[in-house]
Amino acid sequence: MAKGLAIVMFSGEAEKFIPLAVLTQTAANLGVPVKIFVTGYATLYFTKNKPEPRFTKEFEDMASKLLEGMKKLNMPSWYDIVKEAKETGDVKIYVCSLMAEVIGLKKEDLDPIVDDMVGAAFFMGETADYQVIFI
Amino acid sequence: MAEKIVVDARGMACPGPITKLVRAYRNAKNGDIIEVVATDPGFKPDVEAWVKRTGNELVELKEGDGVIRAVIKVTAKK
Repeated sequence: MAKGLAIVMFSGEAEKFIPLAVLTQTAANLGVPVKIFVTGYATLYFTKNKPEPRFTKEFEDMASKLLEGMKKLNMPSWYDIVKEAKETGDVKIYVCSLMAEVIGLKKEDLDPIVDDMVGAAFFMGETADYQVIFI
Repeated sequence: MAEKIVVDARGMACPGPITKLVRAYRNAKNGDIIEVVATDPGFKPDVEAWVKRTGNELVELKEGDGVIRAVIKVTAKK
């Protein structure tokens, strides 16, 4: 197993937040360090005034089934799973400084689950011997 | 004194049962026994992977009536 798990969270669709949450929690459960780099369309969902991510229109039929099933299983939200993973293991969340600047975000606008605002070079350095997953 | 801890993760989906196990494990000490019951069909290979990764001991792993029961002996606490 690699030294850790690096997740580049780029997408902003609701369905993409499920693998983010499950992979993060699983790695934390196994004692594998996780570093998440939030960039692109995901950035907005890591701010204090975050909207709820929306499902892709093309997958509406599946989405309603998905939501129904998750409700039946009492599955927590992606946010609560990631938050719990941070309490369980070594999980760090970084927001891409370029993307933050582009959409006019300052450090104080970020959600409390975010650890820092960093550049890509820092993230690559930190995760050089990690397995990388792009979502 | 070694304790026996029972974790009921029935009805939970992946990664819920392992998360619940880890929560119990955090407060456990070497020699303790953790018994997990789960209904998630992925729990069997998942708990095997967890034990292998963390270096604890899987005493028993049984499946019946839609319930998977894992008995783990805590041995890898530092």
